[in-house]
Amino acid sequence: MVQEPNRRTFLRTLGLSAASITLSPLVESLLPGSTSLAQNVPIDLAVAEGSSIPKITSAVVDLMGGIKKFVSRGDIVVIKPNMAWDRKPEQAANTNPHVVATLVSLCLDAGAKRVKVFDHSCDDPRRCYVQSGIAHAARKAGAEITFVDDRKFKEMNIGGEVLKTWKIYTEVVEADALINVPIAKHHSLAKLSMAMKNWMGAVGGWRGRLHWRLNQCLADLTSFFKPSLTLLDAVRILVNHGPQGGRLEDVKGTDMVIAGVDQIAVDSFGATLFGMKGSDLGCVKEGHARGLGRMDIENLKVKRVHVPTP
Amino acid sequence: MESAVVRYRIISQAFFLTIFVLLFLLTNYRGLDEIRYPVRIFLEFDPLIAFTTLLAAHHLPTVMFFSLAVVGSALVLGRVFCGWVCPLGTIHHFVSWLYHRKEKDILPRSTLLGYRIKYYLLFFILASSVFTLQSVGFLDPISLLIRSMTLFVEPLVNLMVHAIFGFFYDTEIRWITALTEPIYSLLKNNFLSFRQPYFHQALFIGFLFVAILLMNFYRMRFWCFSLCPLGALLGLVSRVSLLRRWISEACTKCDICFSGCQAFARGNQDKWLRSECLVCGNCQNRCPEEAIDFALSPSAALTKPGLNLTRRNLLVSAASGIIAVPFLRMNSNYRNPNPKLIRPPGALEEREFLKRCLKCGECMKVCLTNGLQPTLMEAGLEGIWSPILIPRLGYCQFYCTLCGQVCPSGAIKKLTVSEKVQVRIGLAFIDKNRCLPYSQGIDCIVCEEHCPTPKKAIWFIEKRVQDRGRIVKTVKQPVVDLDLCTGCGICENKCPVVDKPAIVVTSIGESRSEVNRLSLY
Repeated sequence: MVQEPNRRTFLRTLGLSAASITLSPLVESLLPGSTSLAQNVPIDLAVAEGSSIPKITSAVVDLMGGIKKFVSRGDIVVIKPNMAWDRKPEQAANTNPHVVATLVSLCLDAGAKRVKVFDHSCDDPRRCYVQSGIAHAARKAGAEITFVDDRKFKEMNIGGEVLKTWKIYTEVVEADALINVPIAKHHSLAKLSMAMKNWMGAVGGWRGRLHWRLNQCLADLTSFFKPSLTLLDAVRILVNHGPQGGRLEDVKGTDMVIAGVDQIAVDSFGATLFGMKGSDLGCVKEGHARGLGRMDIENLKVKRVHVPTP
Repeated sequence: MESAVVRYRIISQAFFLTIFVLLFLLTNYRGLDEIRYPVRIFLEFDPLIAFTTLLAAHHLPTVMFFSLAVVGSALVLGRVFCGWVCPLGTIHHFVSWLYHRKEKDILPRSTLLGYRIKYYLLFFILASSVFTLQSVGFLDPISLLIRSMTLFVEPLVNLMVHAIFGFFYDTEIRWITALTEPIYSLLKNNFLSFRQPYFHQALFIGFLFVAILLMNFYRMRFWCFSLCPLGALLGLVSRVSLLRRWISEACTKCDICFSGCQAFARGNQDKWLRSECLVCGNCQNRCPEEAIDFALSPSAALTKPGLNLTRRNLLVSAASGIIAVPFLRMNSNYRNPNPKLIRPPGALEEREFLKRCLKCGECMKVCLTNGLQPTLMEAGLEGIWSPILIPRLGYCQFYCTLCGQVCPSGAIKKLTVSEKVQVRIGLAFIDKNRCLPYSQGIDCIVCEEHCPTPKKAIWFIEKRVQDRGRIVKTVKQPVVDLDLCTGCGICENKCPVVDKPAIVVTSIGESRSEVNRLSLY
């Protein structure tokens, strides 16, 4: 089952492009100031720092051109955080709940019909959903929180170098807009677990088997999923004993959220937070080599903003 | 038209059965670390369990003093617990009613035999508990019901519901799934298990449960009448109760009252067996002359009809109970710990554990991962159906403390989260012949990434290996840190070598044992 653009998405894209082409000069003339400027200059990566998690999350989305660029009215949006572990937010094993909740609100404000949040967790899902704080925060923001339903894993064509077919969660593929929201953390095989590694939570089957050729598998999965936006939560990062941590000594507060469309670029930037480069990570290197994105972030347009505490 | 007594009795039975089922459903993780209303509450009101636990373990959990209320009820009203409250009794009553409701005849004599068996069983159980054997769990009605519901009924109901709704789901016809899926989610969110439970011996336990239900076809409430040791205990207490049954002059000795009698309480006044009467009110309800009445009276004028329990049989049952103790304990676990016998966290030292465990299966019901299973012979005959962790089926979730919370008898201690994470239930060992980085020189680390201790109990030796194409690379070979491993079993559970995992937990290192240890701390 390979996903191809259906009539609906095609027409919507057509309509939107037509509308933006005809309307954008008009809108720009009407809207003076920096907002239109930000939208005009395409950037590759956006980085927001600051102590208010909702503010930096909104800021980073704004820098990328605003949520409406990625989510349209009536969309069914899937937000895929990492909530794989029975750990609390301060232990930095799961995506920060406020990042997820803010994103949910932004999507709903943009007119999304439904926003779904779920993860195929590693520990008992009930405890992961509760302890991560994500279920509570995202539900309050208006998201639908569901547990993964085994019936909805379907064998799909990945067409990758290692993964030819694998069980994929259908709701992820069927979403009108998919947003990848990983947390940046240590992992003893991939070295770091970020955007590419987060797709492990959207697949079924015996996931342990993917570790044999993890970097190729992650590149295969990254080429398969098509997120409209990726937000890397680096509010707190886990520098050791990942991916589930547990010790506060291993957690570093970096008060940052990174956004991009190119997941390879996002992960490359994330690597710098750990004193590494994208090319130090096997999966990023693999993704770059396959043309899934760019790890040479020094050549990319990175926009940084600091959101001061009020 | 039913009489008032019968009407109230039915309401009471329905009420307590509903409460039981609700508590059973609530004995489950529902997003809070604490289970507020476990079905254990029913066991706390069970005087037989309180009695045998006191005898066997020389210890009585405070909550079990509630059971005095049931003893009190028997002192006043006879076996009203059996007839009005007991959920298993209600189920038996219902099955009996389904089968026998049309019968107007007096029960044949043959089916009136055997009411004494339960007293002999009671003596067996009590005698064995004096000699520290906790055998009550096999036959105690509440324990039996919780066990059968957990290990058999719930998995069966779940499978059936999943099969039915799965069928509609797989049709992929939109208007059908639009109808069925909301019902399915409603059931799933409120009544079904979070994941399909699977238990060892489910069919065996189910067979026993169904068998005692089917016995109702042979005789109304066969279990309550012949086998139930709790009924026997309450029967003995009822012999001195205040409950009296009056039969007025109007009685024509038609014996219609016999036909509705759930037990063997006999028709005419002087032979009425107070210890057998379930106070169901059927005799009163059916009497065409309205000649039967129940009342409370301290009057000693009435004779106490004998139960005809022979001294000889009582002695034999008590002696069997005593002999059963060494019989059931004839196994080598007493010499050498069984490596497979991984007990839940907080379980007492094995002998103390067995003195308390009621085999009710509540710990297995709440286990988040379905890893807790009933033993067959791993803990000897004495320990059959006690909990054992089978890591391949489910691991012990690091921060979870549910099994200790629901254990009715304290066989599994209630632990706080900070205590729990210190408890070791076993130790993991790597099978280097099967572990991929050792045997194949390929990457894996799945055990390490799942290891839940904050400082991981699995670390790596980095080893340079050469593959068939002569390419030299570095792989990480896992090593278990025996000071940190808690034996939770998630490594074994997630090991990609599916059939026979390359990392296996055995019971050595368990905190509860002084013998079965490796580390000095």
